[in-house]
Amino acid sequence: MTDAAVPQQISGRGLGERLIDALLSGRGIWPAVPAIIVLMVVAVVPFVILLSLGFSNIVVSRGEIVSQTFSLAHLTNALTDPLYWTTFQRSLNLALTTTLLCLVFGYPVAYLFLVGGKWTKRAILILTIAPLLTSGIVRTYAWLVILGGRGVVNSTLMNLGLIDQPLRIMNTHWAVLIGMVQIHLPVMILPLIAVMSRHDSRLVEASANLGASRLATLRTIVLPLSVPGIGTGAALVFTLSYTTFVVPQLLGGGNYLNAATMIYEQVVFSLEWSKGSVSSLILMVTCLIVLVAIALVTNHFTRWTKGRDA
Amino acid sequence: MMHQHPRTASKVASSVPVLRIGAVGKQFGATKVLEKCSLDVDEGEIVTLLGPSGCGKTTLLRCIAGFLDADQGDVRIDGQDMGPIPVNRRPVGVVFQSYALFPHMTVARNVAYALKMQGIRGAEADRRVAGALATVSLQDFGDRYPSQLSGGQQQRVAIARVLVMEPRVLLLDEPFNALDAKLRSSMQVELRQLIKRLGLTAIFVTHDQEEALTMSDRIAIMRAGRIEQAAPPDEIFDYPATAYVADFIGTSNFWKASAAGGTVPLPDGQRRQTEHSGDVQIMARPHNLKLAEPEAGEWRGHVQFHRTIGALIEYHVETSDGVLLQVATMRQERAAPFDDGAAVSLHIIDPTYCAVYPAS
Ligand SMILES: Nc1ncnc2c1ncn2[C@@H]1O[C@H](COP(=O)(O)OP(=O)(O)OP(=O)(O)O)[C@@H](O)[C@H]1O
Ligand SMILES: [Mg+2]
Repeated sequence: MTDAAVPQQISGRGLGERLIDALLSGRGIWPAVPAIIVLMVVAVVPFVILLSLGFSNIVVSRGEIVSQTFSLAHLTNALTDPLYWTTFQRSLNLALTTTLLCLVFGYPVAYLFLVGGKWTKRAILILTIAPLLTSGIVRTYAWLVILGGRGVVNSTLMNLGLIDQPLRIMNTHWAVLIGMVQIHLPVMILPLIAVMSRHDSRLVEASANLGASRLATLRTIVLPLSVPGIGTGAALVFTLSYTTFVVPQLLGGGNYLNAATMIYEQVVFSLEWSKGSVSSLILMVTCLIVLVAIALVTNHFTRWTKGRDA
Repeated sequence: MMHQHPRTASKVASSVPVLRIGAVGKQFGATKVLEKCSLDVDEGEIVTLLGPSGCGKTTLLRCIAGFLDADQGDVRIDGQDMGPIPVNRRPVGVVFQSYALFPHMTVARNVAYALKMQGIRGAEADRRVAGALATVSLQDFGDRYPSQLSGGQQQRVAIARVLVMEPRVLLLDEPFNALDAKLRSSMQVELRQLIKRLGLTAIFVTHDQEEALTMSDRIAIMRAGRIEQAAPPDEIFDYPATAYVADFIGTSNFWKASAAGGTVPLPDGQRRQTEHSGDVQIMARPHNLKLAEPEAGEWRGHVQFHRTIGALIEYHVETSDGVLLQVATMRQERAAPFDDGAAVSLHIIDPTYCAVYPAS
């Protein structure tokens, strides 16, 4: 190729080619434009509407808003209503407990994945991913069968003669918690596995070679390196379980009130859209606060990644 | 060129060797990866495991370090059986090919790790860490994270990290693989000098011949899970114990012959003594052969092609019975005395320097 041919080739590129090149270059936000459009339509616009509903008095007639006037009444009502406080507290407690329990049960599984053989790894992956292939509603209904009055747990305990009356598990806080942990466990395990398997397995061997016991290796090498996975897993599990509707609704038997079920009732049953939108707003803001806290803690423990790729 | 490396004579093992690998065997499923591997390493000696990819070098190192349990045989350090000793209690330091530095710890904390595990802290730990970093000339890098170091620096951290715990045996698995060629050769010399200065006993894995010749007091040639020969580099090169070793190290010429009555005839009319009888193969190095005018001898052939490599001329010769041989001679004048296609006769310079192996 001669020197003269080079500029000719560049200028000779068609508009389409240059457009594609610009898109793929990563400069600007062009590759994200389709997603942004979708988000604007399905998320931002409804959100703005929601916000406006929450800060106004509306009159609804035959399913349509006929008048709307600005008001902070709904927000102040909500913040002074003890029912809101207890409901959000319950949601927060449930979500934090779920997150913690998912971490407690999920971490050993991820550790087993790290140190286990080929078949252990496969089994863990299958058992973790398989539940995600069925809908959350189906999995929640399965718990009805297990925890119900004549369910597997009760009939086993009764057959063993340990109890003579069925335990009331369904429709309690415990049923909701058990369901929440089971439903969200994979969401904790997968990021943990992803982060742990990113690191060289020789690190564990090196640690042992330098005199560390397995426990010391877990504490000084495996755990610190898995902090990003813990952060991601915790953020995902928290968000999902803080805002979940299906599990409390089904396993709580319709009388377990968390933020999501409360919003559902306000909007669908009482048709109090303004109340519902204020509740949603509080849910979002509090969720964000916890997520920021998780991110800060995670960052604090992964300062070492900062100098990377520099 | 290959003889210029510094070398200490292999010692006669009078006392207990630092490391004794006794008939170690290991298999993964049905495949035997190690078979009756035996090797003694003396105090202060650097032994290289050299062999083609997949011959079991890493597996043997992993058995010594305790990452794997040998199926047969035993590994002894200072006479003590390592079998029941867990990885974290063996007096062995491993430098991994990938370095395996802890990414979330600074260089200083990486180096201090082994001390921390032994419960050594405070001033004494600081002193020893500083000492180890100084040994590898990284005293100013203690506060950096591994990701902020070059490949060569990371490697030196990996070495300092095991040196600090003063292991009896140092194991290095292809430590230079990730380095570029230039850095590699300077690190080879540097590392050898360091190990010698500290009087460490080391096993070093490579599949690079030149690296083995540069680094080691003795080379152990491995083939399919066995050690074929373990000897000083010169001895391996000059007196390869098997045809495989001869073929693996350096360039070698083989041809078939038939031995009887304690001698074997060489094709140029000379004879060489041998304890073998019947079908044998004879090996001669290219620099043990020379070419002459065709009338000068009875072993005839013609030059296929030749090339000049610095002070050497390398001829590729096909003999009249179809064997391909390489002949290397020192260059005397500007032109090579024999052109491509020229008829020549071949001569063996020193028959005792030919090796005789049973026909395979
Ligand atoms: N965990 C394992 N399971 C099954 N086979 C293995 C395992 N580890 C090693 N092997 C096999 O054992 C043989 C020797 O492997 P090893 O890693 O010791 O070779 P090597 O000499 O170090 O090779 P290289 O020079 O490529 O590093 C190979 O055939 C390899 O496939
Ligand atoms: Mg290897």
